[in-house]
Amino acid sequence: MDDYKFLFKVVLVGNAGVGKTCLVRRFTQGLFPPGQGATIGVDFMIKTVEVGNEKVKLQIWDTAGQERFRSITQSYYRSAHALILVYDISSQPTFDCLPDWLREIEEYASSKVLRILVGNKIDREDREIPENVGEEFAERHNMYYLETSAKESDNVEKLFMQIAEDLMKQARTRDLPRYDSNNQTIDGRTSTINDSSCCSRLQ
Amino acid sequence: MDFEFPKEFDVIIVGTGVIESILSAAASRVGKRVLHIDENEYYGGQWASFNLEAIMKLKNSQKERIANKSDSNFLSFGNDLFNIKNIDYKFHVLPKKNKVCSEEKDKEVVDNNLQEVSQDDNEETWDEELLIKTSRKFNIDLCPKLQYARGNFVELLISSNIARYSEYRSVTRILTWLNNHLEPLPCSRSDVFANTRVSVVEKRMLMKLLTSLNDEEKETQNYESKTFKEFLTDKKLTSNLVHYVLYGISTSSDHTQCKEGIQKAKRFLNSLGRFGKTPFLFSMYGSGEIPQAFCRLSAVFGGIFALGQPIEGFALNDEKFKSLTVRSQTIKAEHLVMGIENLPKQFIKSKKHDYISRCILITNKSVLDCEKEQLTLIFYPPENNKSFTTIIELGYLTGTCPNNVYLVHLIAKQDTSPQEDFKHIIDKLFINSYHEMAENNHDKPHILWSYYCSINDSNDVELTEDLPKNIFVCPGPDLDLDYDFSVTKAKKIFNAMYPDLEFLPRAPDPEEIIIGDDEITEEAKEITEEAKEITEEAKEITEEAKEITEEAKEITKEMTEEAKEITEEAEETTENEINDVKNEKQETISEERQHTVE
Ligand SMILES: Cc1cc2nc3c(=O)[nH]c(=O)nc-3n(C[C@H](O)[C@H](O)[C@H](O)COP(=O)(O)OP(=O)(O)OC[C@H]3O[C@@H](n4cnc5c(N)ncnc54)[C@H](O)[C@@H]3O)c2cc1C
Ligand SMILES: Nc1nc2c(ncn2[C@@H]2O[C@H](COP(=O)(O)OP(=O)(O)O)[C@@H](O)[C@H]2O)c(=O)[nH]1
Ligand SMILES: [Mg+2]
Repeated sequence: MDDYKFLFKVVLVGNAGVGKTCLVRRFTQGLFPPGQGATIGVDFMIKTVEVGNEKVKLQIWDTAGQERFRSITQSYYRSAHALILVYDISSQPTFDCLPDWLREIEEYASSKVLRILVGNKIDREDREIPENVGEEFAERHNMYYLETSAKESDNVEKLFMQIAEDLMKQARTRDLPRYDSNNQTIDGRTSTINDSSCCSRLQ
Repeated sequence: MDFEFPKEFDVIIVGTGVIESILSAAASRVGKRVLHIDENEYYGGQWASFNLEAIMKLKNSQKERIANKSDSNFLSFGNDLFNIKNIDYKFHVLPKKNKVCSEEKDKEVVDNNLQEVSQDDNEETWDEELLIKTSRKFNIDLCPKLQYARGNFVELLISSNIARYSEYRSVTRILTWLNNHLEPLPCSRSDVFANTRVSVVEKRMLMKLLTSLNDEEKETQNYESKTFKEFLTDKKLTSNLVHYVLYGISTSSDHTQCKEGIQKAKRFLNSLGRFGKTPFLFSMYGSGEIPQAFCRLSAVFGGIFALGQPIEGFALNDEKFKSLTVRSQTIKAEHLVMGIENLPKQFIKSKKHDYISRCILITNKSVLDCEKEQLTLIFYPPENNKSFTTIIELGYLTGTCPNNVYLVHLIAKQDTSPQEDFKHIIDKLFINSYHEMAENNHDKPHILWSYYCSINDSNDVELTEDLPKNIFVCPGPDLDLDYDFSVTKAKKIFNAMYPDLEFLPRAPDPEEIIIGDDEITEEAKEITEEAKEITEEAKEITEEAKEITEEAKEITKEMTEEAKEITEEAEETTENEINDVKNEKQETISEERQHTVE
């Protein structure tokens, strides 16, 4: 089960209601819409994908609703390898908030994190933000751009697969933020002594 | 944000300090509906970490609000008793470098510069502008804490599965100020033996003492009302050893009671060898991560969070908390929990206040240079009426400062003022003026920036009796090195609110959560339960088997012993008999001789 070679942390941000949770669930479970109660107690979802014969494990973190009142914990951003900033193409306010989100990302995430701008809900008829406007915004801020529909499953697989491929490429060229270089996993039950200079994870 | 809060909760929590955050997680975890708000834009209140610019923006704030409603049943949040005081900061480096600093230079370039500069061994390159530019790389704790590897707090992190939200580094060395030097504190068996400053006789004494502490009951019989220092002195330890054990291993003062001192020493010793060479862990990116980790768990289990809220006040009814007013919304809840800084003044009984003196320094190198970056804890014992001081020195690897500088925290019970309380230490360990720098003083670290403040220690504050029974108050930071007291306090409040519910049971791992059709989920749950039971049973059987094996071993051992004894006895007997025979023979011979003589 644990025969993956790479593990990447991917986090989603953006206004409440833009479809972050739906994107994660669509990709990891193929569900839409996700059952309501099911959100409780879910911290991040995991899906293993294959990139060129290599198994890559994506650990996808959702906001736990803390974006509603602008209270995402800083640690949510820490150690992230990729960051998906989502807005709703049928809602101008969710697009107008992007600069605020960028400021928060600048503050707490590593400058090397892979950033993707996603315009979600393209299945909707009442589009308010034309595709080229989103694309230009992304270009101006050095981000990839993709439009998706969690509902119709448009581009969802592509979004995460592209992230996995990109991160793999970076990992090969060693251009990735290296969070785990000297971190160690410590199992609380077996109590091992490690090189004292190491960073420890308690589990 | 144009979202409305729901109108009713089980518990409303105001303030995101450590104890409030632990309670938030605990309540959400058992299914309670939690609203958690803070008037600050950041998590943690006085337990928070700040970047360099942000900590300089903190104010000696006066935040008492006047109730603007004449209703005696409506109370305003907050009091002015627990504000941070005596804030005083200063750059000890030139405001601007003469070197040209192009404006559009981006961060990477700055980083590269730093690297180059350090290779040139040029210490004067840090200036105000550069420090401000790297502001974001600092995570400066108002209240830095360490964690005992086997303390209640770490056990809680592990048992509740909250450990996954943060990373830790172990403290790599402990130093103490002794005989006018910084010396490594020998704390483990190998340390004791590796320490060249401890004589062989002292080594033996120390090992004997450390071993004997396990037999606490017997050892403390006659020390009911005596101090740990008296106990150690009576053990005829040398003054160096008393120093190590008293100020180091037991993190005690001259007045610590014997029993407490022993317990503290034991906690220290028990925590050795779990995660590193010392008993302590530090949470990466600063202690401010800790309240956030608990808040994240609370949110994952449905807690609703809102920072930067203009909290107004709350209404009482029948001497009980009834509802909270925030952004002109009225929200009901069964319980109200708040940090003591949010409590209306009328409920605070004692007016006497204890303060914690704090000093934070950015320096250009470690107090004791070493090849590898160290995370250092220093115990600075009481000296000339100055309080015991704890010093924590953090480097780049802890995620609290940029490369090539160190962040130094000094913590002590306030005596007069932070400046005066620490002056003797600053003078001994650091260089803090251009003047001194000019004197070729290259050994000691230079102070690049300093920050002083006083933080209220509200842990002994008494509250009035008329505090409504469904309002719970969490004290602010304490002087302890660790969070164990906070865990105890949070548990106590939780048990008062929910006496029958479990405190922070383990949160499932993502792999364990099965999402889908509710029926399937139920079924899966049952199967999991069953599987668990079977595993439990299997475990029990294994345990039993083990016990039996142990017993069998014991019996074998006993039998072997017995057999040995019997053999030995037999041997002895044989020997005796042989001797007897010999004796007899001799006797016979002598008799015979006698006979012959006759
Ligand atoms: C969350 C995070 C964790 C990291 N953990 C490690 C680690 O365990 N081991 C390791 O060798 N490298 C670690 N790094 C450093 C990483 O490999 C890169 O060197 C770093 O991201 C370089 O980007 P930057 O200088 O543009 O950082 P920035 O984008 O300027 O920094 C982003 C944030 O990360 C913090 N940060 C940056 N570098 C580090 C660091 N080395 N350690 C702690 N905090 C840091 C900063 O204080 C800032 O808050 C970490 C970086 C980040 C962002
Ligand atoms: N039409 C449409 N609705 C969507 C899509 N994705 C999400 N939604 C809806 O948008 C609402 C918010 O989705 P959610 O995933 O909870 O948003 P979050 O707050 O960002 O996590 C829900 O009612 C979803 O059904 C989509 O691609 N198309
Ligand atoms: Mg969501």
